[in-house]
Amino acid sequence: MGVIMILYYLICAYILGLLAWDFVREKKSVNDMILYLLVLIPLLLRILRIK
Amino acid sequence: MTFQVGVILVLMVAAYAVAKWRKLSVELSILSAAVAGGIAGAIVKTPPLAELPRHLIEGCFPYLDVMLVFSTATIFMAIVSESGGVNYVVRGTIRAFYNVRFIALLILMIIVLIPGALTGAGSVSLLVVGTPVALALGYLGVPKKKVAAMMFILAGLSAAAPPVNIWAMMLCAGTAIPYVGFEFTLGIPVLLLGTFTALFFGWKKEGTLDKNAALAAMPEVPKGMSWWRVLLPFLAFFGMVAAYRVWPFGTPIFGLPLEFTVSALVALAVSPKRIKILELSRNTMKRLLPLLATMIVVGMLQQIMTATGVRGLVSFAVISTPLIPLYILLAIIIPASEGVLTYGAAAILGIPLIWFFDSIGLHATVAIAGLSLLWPLGDGLPPTALIGRLSVMVSDYKDSYWSFLKTTWLPWLVITIVGILMVVYSAKLAFLVKWSM
Amino acid sequence: MSREWTIKSALIAIAAVLMILGGAPLYKHRHYEVPVVAGPGVTSVIKLSEFVPSLKGSMADADVFVLEGKEPGGKVLVMANTHANEPAGLLTAVIMIENAVVEKGTLMVIPEFNASAGRNTRPGDGYPLYYDIPTEWGAKRFRMGNRDTSPLDQWPDPDVYIHYPDKQLLSFIDVRNTNRTWPGRPNGPLMEKVTFAAMEMMRKDRLNIAIDMHGAETMFPVTNCIVAPQKSAKIATLVSMTVKAMEGFDNHVEPSPPNFHGLSHREIGDFSDTLPFLLEAPIPFLDQPTGPKTVKLLLDGKDPFLLSLSKKKKLFVPYDENGWPIEKRVGQHCSVALEIIRQYSKKNPDTAIRISGIPRYADLVKNGVGRYFHDPAKAEKKSVYYE
Repeated sequence: MGVIMILYYLICAYILGLLAWDFVREKKSVNDMILYLLVLIPLLLRILRIK
Repeated sequence: MTFQVGVILVLMVAAYAVAKWRKLSVELSILSAAVAGGIAGAIVKTPPLAELPRHLIEGCFPYLDVMLVFSTATIFMAIVSESGGVNYVVRGTIRAFYNVRFIALLILMIIVLIPGALTGAGSVSLLVVGTPVALALGYLGVPKKKVAAMMFILAGLSAAAPPVNIWAMMLCAGTAIPYVGFEFTLGIPVLLLGTFTALFFGWKKEGTLDKNAALAAMPEVPKGMSWWRVLLPFLAFFGMVAAYRVWPFGTPIFGLPLEFTVSALVALAVSPKRIKILELSRNTMKRLLPLLATMIVVGMLQQIMTATGVRGLVSFAVISTPLIPLYILLAIIIPASEGVLTYGAAAILGIPLIWFFDSIGLHATVAIAGLSLLWPLGDGLPPTALIGRLSVMVSDYKDSYWSFLKTTWLPWLVITIVGILMVVYSAKLAFLVKWSM
Repeated sequence: MSREWTIKSALIAIAAVLMILGGAPLYKHRHYEVPVVAGPGVTSVIKLSEFVPSLKGSMADADVFVLEGKEPGGKVLVMANTHANEPAGLLTAVIMIENAVVEKGTLMVIPEFNASAGRNTRPGDGYPLYYDIPTEWGAKRFRMGNRDTSPLDQWPDPDVYIHYPDKQLLSFIDVRNTNRTWPGRPNGPLMEKVTFAAMEMMRKDRLNIAIDMHGAETMFPVTNCIVAPQKSAKIATLVSMTVKAMEGFDNHVEPSPPNFHGLSHREIGDFSDTLPFLLEAPIPFLDQPTGPKTVKLLLDGKDPFLLSLSKKKKLFVPYDENGWPIEKRVGQHCSVALEIIRQYSKKNPDTAIRISGIPRYADLVKNGVGRYFHDPAKAEKKSVYYE
């Protein structure tokens, strides 16, 4: 895997971390909780190299 | 078959309507439509029930790269803004051009057109220069509603502008037509329509703010901010974009997300004030959540529409329409399809349309250029409204989305007429392609 | 547990279940192996990385099956799955590998030219993951791939793809499309390395003919045809006329546009002495206005929407209730490829190529595709390759 591709996985991990943090901090809106999880799905599957 | 697919389509629309009626968000309503379509399809095994989760998960992926662009670009601009760079630029623009309104408007228009023209994404224009330009327009006495409308139309035109027009590129790729000859074919209408839009929204000054009052009303710029501190991150970004254009075989492919990330790090390094990057990034992602989630659920919707045949039925209905009504319908179906499917619309409707136009003697390149003026308009339409929502966001416009959208009516109409006439008279406009080559 | 975390836990559980149920089949698809039995004609199997070493160990390193005849002669390369969502080419290539016997010259077959795309799915387009071809010994399962390389193997895309060496601007996605990255470079993006490796093979091994097998929509003007540049046009025309007269199917000739870069039928001819031909067989499954994207549609090509559009004269091929079954499409590829080799050999007796064992159009239409696949369970272990 090239350096640039590794950097892309790091970018994904950073964004995933931010969204996961926001999900944990979300207290009230079930709508937003669902949306966070939806957005996390492709990021996680990409980092796991599944898709 | 038509009946079966038609029933699935009706159920999807019904699920969307019920979800909206139950006051669910746009994103969850689209998700409901996708799931309902999938379950209805599973009854007739299109797709089989066991494959439904796979289709939904696979549907999360068409826009993953676009999501990364939006995320990194917005964090980049948030850093520039937080460091005081945005206010610094706006202050400079107002000071220099406040009294020459025509020039000020043209310069601001060009500033919005460039990033989108280079990257093919109106979102990049809005994310990179949207906030400072919107603020500058505000201080020039343009009300927020008009600012949002102007930003939306200009961002759309920037995406259509050469050298990179993603709709045209996708159509060329799908129809085996070379992506050449678009410079004047797209450049001339974009510049004319852009000038019209900028003057239409910006010419009339509202309010009584004079130059000094406007400068006084602006937020203070942090100590130590200077032109080079503002320009360096942008130079890093445009430098990387330009390097690949100038030395395509000597420059590695960075991709937009990495280019924005590098620029963000530069902005962070040269900021005159300390920025809490984690907190800023986290808040930015929170702000972006509805937009990112929209891209996920629209991908799911597309996947289910195709697996069930609904997408094919829609495409079939369009292709089956007789020629003259089809020309007129382009005004509706092209933006509407973009509103539902974003870039996917170019493939679903655009490719068969271009094949059809080509077969009846129209000039494919000019027809593609004409259609690609219409697609960006759809980026303001729900359910996705990606560019419309970004325009509202960067313009800090708080009123109803519909009142913003209604404000765009005249440029929208003019662009629609120009686009359709380019398709209809494409054979006569073939000289534009020749000029470009 | 607080109400907030009860809700969150439930949502996480639902998302996890969905991710496992939906992600596992995608992972399995990428790692699913299709057994191919090397037939009596296969003399060796090499890799593209022999020509570009940096491909070694990557998902893009494709197998090249070499079938060398006892008598020296010309050399022909047949490529399939340049676009891995156009399966008639792959099925034809496997038939050739499992059945062909070369008497004179050499036949080289790359069944999965874009090996990464063959293990990629097409998000947003609702394809099935696999398709089964019935055989006398059971169903033979193939992966349904994508037109483009998997981003797991080549990431990121540029904002616009600038073609090497002509600097023509192409859509960003074309950087992962092996029919836009010809002639390639040894140090470019992964797919440019793949096409460069093939170019190197053609130049070093002095290949005479290259045949790139595709499928194209029925609404696409360039379908059911042989695309050929000027240097291959004469042979292509003779082939078109012969298959029409002798075997009864249409396959017209389309000229390769000189200013459209990156395509095999353009660049192979321009950057080597090899004569390129690109074969297009109609594939209704890829048309936009079709019903559900099912395995049945993929294999029989029957669709009521297309039938209706055909009556309105909006298709570029004849289309009736019989659709465009896979047997016809594979049969066309087999016959056209054999006829290209025959016509070339007639004109170039010094570098003639003689092949037997490959069925022709009529055989496939009569017997079906599966009849020509061999049971890997009954084959010698060392002659089974996994693609």
